[in-house]
Amino acid sequence: MYRTIHYIGIFAITVLLQVFLFDNLSISVYLNPLIYIVFIVLLPLDAQPVTLLGSGLLLGLTMDSAMGAAGINTIATLPVAFFRPQLAAMICGRENIREGGIPSPERLGSRKFFLFLLTLTLIHHTIFFLLEALSWSHLLHTLLRIVVSSAVSVAFGWIIVRIFTAKLPVRI
Amino acid sequence: MRKLIEFIRSIYVAVLFVVLEAAAIGYYAHSSSYTQARLLARSNQVVGGVHGFFAGVRRYLFLGRENRELTQRVARLEEQLAQYQEAETAARLDSYMQEIGESRYRFATAVVVGNTLNRMQNLLTLNRGRKDGIEEEMAVLAPDGSMVGYIVACTERYSVAMSVLNTSFRTSGKIVDTDYSGSIYWDGTDPNTVILGELSKYAEPQPGQEVVTAGLSEYFPADVLIGWVESAELNETKTSYTVRVRLAAEMSRLNEVILVADRDRYEIRELQQSEQVEQHTRQN
Repeated sequence: MYRTIHYIGIFAITVLLQVFLFDNLSISVYLNPLIYIVFIVLLPLDAQPVTLLGSGLLLGLTMDSAMGAAGINTIATLPVAFFRPQLAAMICGRENIREGGIPSPERLGSRKFFLFLLTLTLIHHTIFFLLEALSWSHLLHTLLRIVVSSAVSVAFGWIIVRIFTAKLPVRI
Repeated sequence: MRKLIEFIRSIYVAVLFVVLEAAAIGYYAHSSSYTQARLLARSNQVVGGVHGFFAGVRRYLFLGRENRELTQRVARLEEQLAQYQEAETAARLDSYMQEIGESRYRFATAVVVGNTLNRMQNLLTLNRGRKDGIEEEMAVLAPDGSMVGYIVACTERYSVAMSVLNTSFRTSGKIVDTDYSGSIYWDGTDPNTVILGELSKYAEPQPGQEVVTAGLSEYFPADVLIGWVESAELNETKTSYTVRVRLAAEMSRLNEVILVADRDRYEIRELQQSEQVEQHTRQN
């Protein structure tokens, strides 16, 4: 119960940040950070696969209706949520998964956590931007958008994670 | 039977994933930019107020610049008005002879409360809707009169416009003072330039020439400024030019826009779709 309230909070914060701050950052056509994916990164390591999938669906649908994009956020978010257990096992090691808890730099070590955050963000952004472009003609252009936006998303995601996990004990 | 249930239990998450993903992809594949505009218009009924607040703050920061631009425009219009007044005195006697109805174009203004530049399908959200007389297919112009987009969806209080920076945007444009026209579209790379494609090889565009709307499209009046020729190149078969056009409207700094409705548009379209026209096209 304690966790649920926390997660409702972080869900609201990431969605609001995305809709009212990052969607209005019209600096360059290459920069479209989608930081809301950090919510999927932060779900507990021992969460049930169906919980992950449900969270991904809810997050995708919320962002779709807020951004006015017909399903593209859902398409990108679902695979991240679905493959997260396998990716977490590969990157963080099976012992960590079995112990559960919220993934954080303190809990997994900065390097492993960074890799985890980067992988999930890259998968999400790659699907999102490829689908948005829907053509191979500007492939280099699309790749640049993926790289630049992912870098910015990971940087902001890291800050959000630090704030969210700052007051938590190492293990909950 | 028990084994079957266990098997289904072991893979039901994967099945659920495939079903949900397929549904999402199906919905996306069948959507158009009109679906997206409708979705955005609906969500604006909820979050439009907050967007409006932020737009208000942003507008306040640019008030000085906007004031300067407006005074310049007022000065230009005053000059034009003086010219017209002069002409009008001369033409008054003639004009008494004929009944002049209301003017062909109807104008309105709106504040931009949502604007993106960093997507392929960029849309503008405006704080005027049906109750202010806004309707679909009205043209959207920047305060200096240059082309920005056209309205694609309206609710009671808000409307959503397709920006020229949208890969689905199409209209016709021409080099000023010539009759060669081509189609204007955005290739999704640079938010400051659009493409004027399929321009006749006889047009010989020079850098710096003005590009204006041709008036062939249903949305824009003729001779609305689009931008200036930046570069031009012949295509491989040397039959037409592809011209890069620097946009006159500064899309990243759009705060207020002018909306233009063409009163004759419905009449013209009705005429184009009338039975007589159809009969003649069928015979040929």
